[in-house]
Amino acid sequence: MEVRHLKIMLAGAAVVALAAGTAWGEAADPIKVGFVTELTGPWSFSGSSCEAGMRLAEARINGAGGVLKRPLKFLVVDNQTNPTQAVAAARSLDTQEKVLLLSGPTSSDNALAMYGYAEQNQLPFLVPVAAFPQLTKPGTQWTFRLEPDAVGWGYAIAKFIEQKKPGAKVALMYSDFALMRAIAAGVKYQAPLSKLSVSAEIIFPQGSSDATIQATQVRASNPDFIVPIGAGGFDNTIANQLLDLGFKPDQIIHPFGFTTNIIGWGKRSVGSYFGTFFDANLDTVTPEGREFIKDFQAKFNRPPSYIENFCYTTAYVIKEAIEKAGTADRAKFRDALRALKTKEGTSNVPIEFDKNGARKEYIYYMQLTDMDVAKKEYKAKKAFYLEWAPEVIPVYDLVK
Amino acid sequence: MAMDPNLLVGISMVTTGLVLGAIFALTAAGVTIVYGCIWLPNAASGQLFLLAPLVLWSFTIGFGIEPVLAALLVLAAGLPLAYLVERLLIRRFYDVPDRNISYFVITLGITQILSGIFSLTWGRWSDQYNVPPLAAGVTFIGPFPLPTNRILALGCALTLLAALFLALRYHRFGRALRAVFQNREAAALRGVDVRRVYLGSFLLGTSVIFAGGLLYSMAYSFDLSVAWSMGIAAFAIMIVGGPGSVLGALVVGMLFGFVQAVVSVFASPTVATLSYLLAMLLILLLRPSGLFAR
Amino acid sequence: MTSADSRRSRMLWLGGAALAVAVPLAVAGNRFAAFIVGIVFVHILWTAGMNLLYGYTGLVSMMTAGIAGIGAYVTTNLVMSHGWSFWLAMPVSAVGAAAVGVILGLPALRLRGFYFVLSSLVIQSAVTLVFVYFPQFTNGDTGITQIPHPRLWLPGEGAVELKGAAFEILLGLLAFAGVGIVHLIVRSRMGAFIMAIREDDLLAEELGIDVTRYKVLVFFIGSLLMGVGGAFYASYVGFISPRSFDVLVSLNIWLMVAFGGRGTILGPIIGCIILVPIPFVLQDLYMLKDIFYGLLIIVVTVAMPAGVYGTFLQRRRAREQAAVAALETSRRAAERIAAQ
Repeated sequence: MEVRHLKIMLAGAAVVALAAGTAWGEAADPIKVGFVTELTGPWSFSGSSCEAGMRLAEARINGAGGVLKRPLKFLVVDNQTNPTQAVAAARSLDTQEKVLLLSGPTSSDNALAMYGYAEQNQLPFLVPVAAFPQLTKPGTQWTFRLEPDAVGWGYAIAKFIEQKKPGAKVALMYSDFALMRAIAAGVKYQAPLSKLSVSAEIIFPQGSSDATIQATQVRASNPDFIVPIGAGGFDNTIANQLLDLGFKPDQIIHPFGFTTNIIGWGKRSVGSYFGTFFDANLDTVTPEGREFIKDFQAKFNRPPSYIENFCYTTAYVIKEAIEKAGTADRAKFRDALRALKTKEGTSNVPIEFDKNGARKEYIYYMQLTDMDVAKKEYKAKKAFYLEWAPEVIPVYDLVK
Repeated sequence: MAMDPNLLVGISMVTTGLVLGAIFALTAAGVTIVYGCIWLPNAASGQLFLLAPLVLWSFTIGFGIEPVLAALLVLAAGLPLAYLVERLLIRRFYDVPDRNISYFVITLGITQILSGIFSLTWGRWSDQYNVPPLAAGVTFIGPFPLPTNRILALGCALTLLAALFLALRYHRFGRALRAVFQNREAAALRGVDVRRVYLGSFLLGTSVIFAGGLLYSMAYSFDLSVAWSMGIAAFAIMIVGGPGSVLGALVVGMLFGFVQAVVSVFASPTVATLSYLLAMLLILLLRPSGLFAR
Repeated sequence: MTSADSRRSRMLWLGGAALAVAVPLAVAGNRFAAFIVGIVFVHILWTAGMNLLYGYTGLVSMMTAGIAGIGAYVTTNLVMSHGWSFWLAMPVSAVGAAAVGVILGLPALRLRGFYFVLSSLVIQSAVTLVFVYFPQFTNGDTGITQIPHPRLWLPGEGAVELKGAAFEILLGLLAFAGVGIVHLIVRSRMGAFIMAIREDDLLAEELGIDVTRYKVLVFFIGSLLMGVGGAFYASYVGFISPRSFDVLVSLNIWLMVAFGGRGTILGPIIGCIILVPIPFVLQDLYMLKDIFYGLLIIVVTVAMPAGVYGTFLQRRRAREQAAVAALETSRRAAERIAAQ
């Protein structure tokens, strides 16, 4: 290469460096949040839904000036639904990026893996969606869980049925996974206390395809209500096979429902109940909530459900806690979270954490009133609402 | 309703066993044809089983194509795809002595690629999938209501199984396939074009796996995890039935379906799953070539 | 072996030990890179065991991850629930895992080739089920979190937690030791026997080799390495669950050996170094990761059937033979000319 060319290149490089340096000097230094979630692997659906909800909040927060006059930057890393990858990502975000806190996982075992890292390295960890009680077991110092715990969902089902039909008989049918077992444990614990009886309890091995026989067995026990807790597509199969056998839709209470699985239940399920933490059909949705629903629907062609909402809310909780702390210091942020008393911007549900980082819990039970499968839309009305403190039942003993 | 509950449970065991068994048998038959003929253990069978109904869903719900036509399209589209894979990856190992290991690694690679693609596409669009039924409503078997669509799925599965079995036994290509199963050199000496039989068996086996997946989606809702559970089940049935034996896949597949249906009524899920594994281990130790080996 | 060869070999070994210490120190500042290095070292240890079983004895065992899991769970249990020291729990659980490995490997004595593979797949599935369904020991599919690092007793400082680059160095030395053990076995008389078994175990039996005894020994040693690796993996990552030791992990361990070059010492190491970091390094390019990994193993299998290092050795040998043949030809030509 000629010397002339080299000189031009060097001059050009110097100009670029100068310009970049000036640009760096002008832009504010962002507050970084490490967001480790499941973008590939078996939980890619909930992880990518969560990221989508969070991004809408991030854009809104930064559009309104950010936090403490600095942009709030979420560094999204895929944990591939693999706990070792989650730990690696946590390490990288902690030591290389020096994030203020970790957040992001929707799957409980990834969250638990990161929990170990966060507690050991004194890094605040706000879990948006992952319902395992151990995430806030007694002695937890740095971890906070935004979603009510799975055992509590079961407790709430029993309270719902108690209020609907005292003395009812309940049948439980669930897939043998940790999350499903936790929900079932909650129902079974509370049932006698709510004067309900469990008329049948059916456990499906992992990887089951067909529930007809079990549905027939359940029918023989003549329950008033059935609580099917399947995994993935199987949840749908259970619901449909129950309906095939002649159960009425309003006898079926699904512990959780979000848009895609609700649509999956089909129009036949109109009349069934499902649990949720945020739904577009709630009349308590605020104007901000309506905007969130509209923006999400425009981008993803379906209304958001509680997964997306928890992740949207997470961004705002982080913002509020930083503002309350007045600084982006980890320990002060953690203390601010502990003292936080606020509401979800989309639905005004209160947000408050107990001494272990578990949120004061709540759930809605909705009843499906209409559905348009082709348009991916459904209508539902609120049938029940409950708030409770996480340790109203011995949650940390029921599930380890 | 004043119906004998035991009768209902009994009928449900029979129908569930038949439906599950037929689908298991069909899928396992597809896997065993390819393994027995080419010595290709297809680690990607499960992902292929899942691919067919996912594409069917996209055709029917996404593009609004009528379900029967869409199903035929999926099967038709599978053929050139299988041909491509055979041409690029499978063919070069036909004369290699230890090819089953190479094939296993290659199909593991295909599994990884497919599962990666799935988790980025369908895996994000929904957490579970339902294909619109070909027939709506419910048919009564005595006092027992069964969705018509499932009966249709069962009927198709049994028809396909019978057709497969008869074709392999009596059709010229089927006989050539069996000749190559048994002894490749002898078959070549008798004038069989071994490489064409290999290609044919790969196309046939893959199409049968696709058909199994399509029929599964007629009977049940599904999500991405069925790839793994079906893949393992098909492999297990192939081992027990005897690699290469379609009759073995048929019989053991039906047996598997029934056992899965019945055992869960009487035993806990742990016991059920451990007992399958124990049964497979016993077969391997006592009669490793499978129950129906030649 | 010539003295030049043995000197070169000694250099290689020294180099390996040096790398085991130097690499962790080099990346000590970047905890993410250090973590990858640590995980690679654990896999090198595991693949050393797998190489002994598969590469040198021809036993394709798909239950290696289950054995590693036994090592991991027993150690974790002893340390967390019974207060044992890691340094006592680890060898105990490794020996336990080795014993289980021998028992579970007994079908290998009866089953040939692919049938043994299948039985090992079945056994691996059963082991995973045991991990899931005995939550009293394993906490089921929830997993065990906050597994502590091992503690070292240093004179003057008391019990100090092993962490940072020191942990990675230890893992590196372990990996080195594991590979070293396999190498020593392969070079011994036992090595000759197991390779004979790999080629044709019936013939080996007829030649008077005690096939049963050597298969059992290989299972014991291989499983011991898996168990040790499992124990360290658990305390290094801090979280284990049944999925950490399931059939996919076994498949990957086998893949690293086959991909890198089975039956060679360097092959599995190369396999680990290439394959293990991919999911970590491609965390950002997550859309490409699976496709890249899959394509890589397909391309290598098609182009390099003996594995990366195995093919390299084959080609080098072919070149050497060609060179020798060329030399021979020219020598004979020279003789003929001289004789005229």
